[in-house]
Order: sequence, then C-alpha cells, then structure tokens
Amino acid sequence: MSDYLEKLPGFVDTIKSIQETVITNIVLIGQTPAPTFKEKQRTSIFMERLAEFQVDECTTDGYRNPIGIIKGTSESKPPIFVVAHLDTIFDKDVDHYYSIQENTIMGAGIIDNSVGVGVLASLPEIFRRLGLRFESDIVLAGVIQSLGKGNLRGIRHLLKTWTTPIRGAVCIEGAELGRLNYYADGMIRCEIDCNISPVGGFKHKFKPNAILIINEVINQIMQLRLPQKPRSRVIIGKTSGGFKHGMIAYDASLGLEIQSNSDKMVKSIFNSIKDIVEGTSHEYEVDLKLNTLSNIHAAKLQFNHPLVKSAVNVMKKLDLTPVSGPSESELSIFLSRNIPSITLGITRGENHHQQNARVEIEPIFTGITQIIGVIMAIDNGACDE
Amino acid sequence: MNKSWIDNNTFHYSKFSDLHRLVNEKQRKNLTISLCLPTLNEEKTIAKEILIMKSELMTRYPLIDEIVVVDSGSTDKTREIARGYGADVYEASEIFPHLDKFVGKGENLWKALYITKGDIIVYLDADIKNIHHRFAYALLGPLILYDRIKYVKAFYDRPIAIGKSKIRPTGGGRVTELVVRPLFSLFFPDLTQILQPLSGEYAGYREIFEHIPFPIGYGVETSMILDIYEKWGLDVIAQVDLDRRIHRNRDTKALGRMAFAILQTFIERKIKLGLVDYKEKLYDEMIQFNLVKGEYKPDIYKIVGLERPPIIEISEYRKKFKRALQKRPHAIAGETDVLG
Repeated sequence: MSDYLEKLPGFVDTIKSIQETVITNIVLIGQTPAPTFKEKQRTSIFMERLAEFQVDECTTDGYRNPIGIIKGTSESKPPIFVVAHLDTIFDKDVDHYYSIQENTIMGAGIIDNSVGVGVLASLPEIFRRLGLRFESDIVLAGVIQSLGKGNLRGIRHLLKTWTTPIRGAVCIEGAELGRLNYYADGMIRCEIDCNISPVGGFKHKFKPNAILIINEVINQIMQLRLPQKPRSRVIIGKTSGGFKHGMIAYDASLGLEIQSNSDKMVKSIFNSIKDIVEGTSHEYEVDLKLNTLSNIHAAKLQFNHPLVKSAVNVMKKLDLTPVSGPSESELSIFLSRNIPSITLGITRGENHHQQNARVEIEPIFTGITQIIGVIMAIDNGACDE
Repeated sequence: MNKSWIDNNTFHYSKFSDLHRLVNEKQRKNLTISLCLPTLNEEKTIAKEILIMKSELMTRYPLIDEIVVVDSGSTDKTREIARGYGADVYEASEIFPHLDKFVGKGENLWKALYITKGDIIVYLDADIKNIHHRFAYALLGPLILYDRIKYVKAFYDRPIAIGKSKIRPTGGGRVTELVVRPLFSLFFPDLTQILQPLSGEYAGYREIFEHIPFPIGYGVETSMILDIYEKWGLDVIAQVDLDRRIHRNRDTKALGRMAFAILQTFIERKIKLGLVDYKEKLYDEMIQFNLVKGEYKPDIYKIVGLERPPIIEISEYRKKFKRALQKRPHAIAGETDVLG
C-alpha cells in the first residue's frame, strides 16, 4: 500500500533534471496577464502548453475552464482532479515579465498562482519522466474566475456540469510549501459603499464625509462580540475613498470577509453588519450599501480521513512539516460536494500579493513530489472508503 | 527598387512553429547550431533566456546544440547566473588574449565565432524581457528549410518598458526611422525592405559571418547588412516577424551616440566601397551639450570606428575550423575559397 512512499524522495532529483521545462512553463504562463474575468489569453497559453506535452485530451468546458486529461489504465475508476486557478489580482497593464535569479523567480502573480498553473502544465511531462501511469484519469484543470468577485465561478461550474463521480482532488497553490488544507471555513465576502451626493456642495460647509462614515461602520463592527466557538472572525481587508487632501470625501468603500467554521455564525454576523450599515445610513442620512461579492459554505474532512493521513505521510517522507489552516479556495467547492480533497503549496515565497512577489526555485521540486505522492495515494484508494 | 524581395523573403514566425520538421531537416542536413548571447550586466534577463531556450530547443526538441554566453566584463552576477543555468560562459577578453582588447557587442559576436561549434549561429540580445523560443526557432526556420537563405534578421512590433511596471504599446525603432532608413533610401533603396535593420536578433551560416568584418560597437548590425548585401546580394537574406519584443527604453542622448556609431560605420563602408570620395578625415567624438547651473557644458564621447577583420583571416580560427572549411570551399554561390 505504501510502496509509493519509498519512491518519493528519489523523484525529487528526476523532477529537478527537467527544471528548465518546469520553470519555462511557469514563466510563459505567468507572464501572460490574467485578471479575474479576463483570463482568455492565459487560457490559450495554458492549453497550448498542455497540447505540447501531449495530454490525451485538451479542451475547455462550457464555462471556458481549460482542461487536459491524461487517460488512466482503468475503465471503471473515477478521475482524480488536479486544479489550479488561472486568474490573478493584477491588471493587464501591470508588467508581468518575470526575472529569474540564481534561486528565485520574481514578478507579479508568481505566487498566486503562476507557480501552481506552471506546475500543473508540467505534470504530463513529469509523469512521463518518472514513468508513472495511473488507474484513474488525471484531469488537469486551470480554473478561471476564482478570486474576489469571481467567487470561484470557474470551479463551481466545472463541478456542476461534471456528471460522473470524482475520486478525489488536489488543489495547488504557489505557496507555502508545507501547507495542508483539508477544511474550508464558511465565508461571506462583502463590500460596503458610501456615496454622498456632491449636488449642492457649495451651500453645505459641513456635509458628511464618506471616509468618516466608513470609519464609523468599522468602529461598530469592531464592537461586535464574536464567539471563540464556533471560531469566527471579521477581516477588514480593503478600504478606498476620497479625491484629494483638502476636499471632503464623497465616496468611500470598505471590503471585508466574515469567516467562521459555522455557516450559521457567518450568517448571524452578516446580519449584524447589515444592521450596522442600515443604522448608520439612517442616522447620518447617507447612501450606504452592503453588497455581497461571494460566499462559500463551511466544509471539512476529518483529520483522520485517509486522504489527510496519506498527505501527512507523504509530507513527512519528504521532510516537510504539515501546517493546517482553513482555505477559502477551490477546496471548499470540492468539499461542499463531498469530494475528498486537499490544498497543497509548492514552494516558499515572499511579498505574496505584490508586484515584486518572489518564490524560491529549489523547493519547487519537493513541492511537486508531494503533489505526485498525494495523487498516487488517491490512485491507491485513499479516497475510496 | 526590386520589391519582390520583401514578398519572397519575409516570413511570420508561425510558419516555423513545427519544431519536429525543423529538427528532422536539421538532422537530415547534418547541421549543428549554436546560440550566442552577448552580455554586459544582464543578470535580470539572462537566466530566463537560457532556461527557455534550453527547455524548448535543447531538452524537448534538439534544435540547438549549445548555448554560449560571451560577456564584456559584467560587474553584476550575469556570468554566475548563466553558468548556473547551464550555458557555456566566456569573458570576451579571454578569447584571443594576444589581440588588443576592446569592449562592445560587435567584439563579443566576432569572438563567439571562434568559441562556438555550430554551422549556424543564432545571435540574440540578452535583454529581451518577453523572451520566447520563437525568437530562435523562427530565425532558424528559413536557414534550415530554404537552401538559398544564409542570413535571417528579426523584426517586430516594439513596445517599450517605461518605468518599473508599465509598458507603452508602441514606440522604439527611432534610430532606424531617423537614421538608417533615410540612409538606405538615399544609397541602397533595396535595403529599405529590411524592416528593422538594427534588431539585435539574427542568425546565419558560419560561412557568412566568418567572411565579414565586425565593428566593435553599435555599427555591427548596419555593417553586417551592408557587407552581406555587397558580397552575396539581397537574396541570401530573409526577415522574420517575431511579433513583439519588450526591451529597455534608451534616452535620446544614448540613441544619439548609437546613431553616431551607425553613421560612422555607414560612411566608412561607403568610402571603402569607393562609393563616396571624402577628402577629410572623419571626427571620432560625439558632442552633446547639457545645461549645468546656467552654463552649457559639452559631454564628449569618443566613438572610434574600430572593427575586427573577417575572422577567417585569423590563423587560430583557420586552424580550429580547418576540417569544416575544407568541407565547404564554395558553399555560397559567388564566394571564393579564402584558403585558396
């Protein structure tokens, strides 16, 4: 059963021997801009690379998620999904050209998620080099519209329209190597927008200031009493507003996420914030709106699930220490459909969501090996119970 | 002007994207191919060029046989990085150490002829931000597939990088349009069909490169075209559209110095060919004025029009490539065997 574990350390050097191909995939795909909702160009490059590496099928689903399929030896075993999201947070006019140094790759979106997508495109060649065949078909999916307002639409659509059972899934992210996500918190991501009409601006010297209104909303959210159980939190993630230093702000907005391992609690906190917004709007006589951008349900595998245990064993075999935490990514959609799945990171990085994000090259080969180890575990039946 | 050249000898890179075909044809013709990257402080871009070329055109498709970096004495990590990613790295000053030492791109290209092994040599600038393997295979395509073509030049749309993170969609090619194209129009109208004569990416057969002189500095691209045109005619030249090339933006003063070197090369070629009779010696200083604290002060750059002779005239070279030279005494129509 665990024969495959013994083989893993030896895989690292074989994968490293084609480092130029892995890095080329990361660079060629990552240098193609793919802001959420505008992933078409990156989709084409990703499919070109999959076709180059001669997957058995290369296509897009009805939502334009690009997919490559490597046929398995068994007619009856359901497929194993390996998934990485294609979109990034960077606009098209941002310089996406990467710089490679002695042991690093630097550039916009490299961590989230060019490394993941580049590795995904490299897997067919890596399997070939390692002489690996699987019983299950391996479905390599680069999913679109994942981040922010994308609200994981790509993976939602892919799974909704995939009519046959799925054996298990591995979601891959650029960093951090050692992460092992097997549960997803419930989450609502929302934006609060404050707009104050500039009409009649000359006559009113003391018009309400949109930034101060948003500030008031933040203060009230901070006063909410959140329980430790179920574990819950509100993350104030983004703010913007105003025009210039000497002018009262007419517009301001606040982006936040409510997270909890209880869907009920997420809903309850959301209702409290809704009350705060409505109350503030009424009290200050301003236009204050709460918009929901996305939401996901809490779902989890137990720590003693064979997939999680296998992943821990794979990581330990490669001298990695598993670090667990919730993940609000493609994982949550798989889990919510009762498909056993985990998320793994490929390498170590810094400046995660900045233009000068940087990843280390050397750990990538161990990161890929652990993904292969988990695919082998699933193919050996880790998700079949 | 004979406009048929641009119709017959201009290609798009996509015509050569069947790499299997190129590799088969290369093997059938028993050719070897060297990729040469001349460098000076290119640590930001060199690794990417080496990795992509190695992955796509060596590991996956055996089109290129070696990647050679010839460095002008970089003070950053260019050489270390290039070596680390598997290129053969040389310092230009260590090649032909007994000759006078010069620093310049042309010097590196010329010396690369001695240390590379290929029948075909691909020269790529090392500062290409959007490097892709098409930059090499598309230049090789016409050389491998068409026997009549011996030298291939790249052309592109040329967006330029402005600042750290923004790209302007059009621009570049100013020296081409303001200097080279007017000169070609005046003296060699046929050559105006070469859309980007100054592009730093070209490939050709060794038998071409070894028979032409190489200016040390910026004039090398212009002189190469003039010499090949003069010796073998336009029909041995082709050009390939490589789509986009993102490069560093140079300021006007730097372009001015580049233009000086090109004019210098051009005029000297004209004199050499007996096409103009210029009675006085040309000056070799580019003078540019700056306003410093209310006073106009000149910046004077000495740009000496030095050039290396055809490398076939160097005895070490003839010795090293003796066997290859014996195999192809009259490889190009109209060319006589230099060894006699």
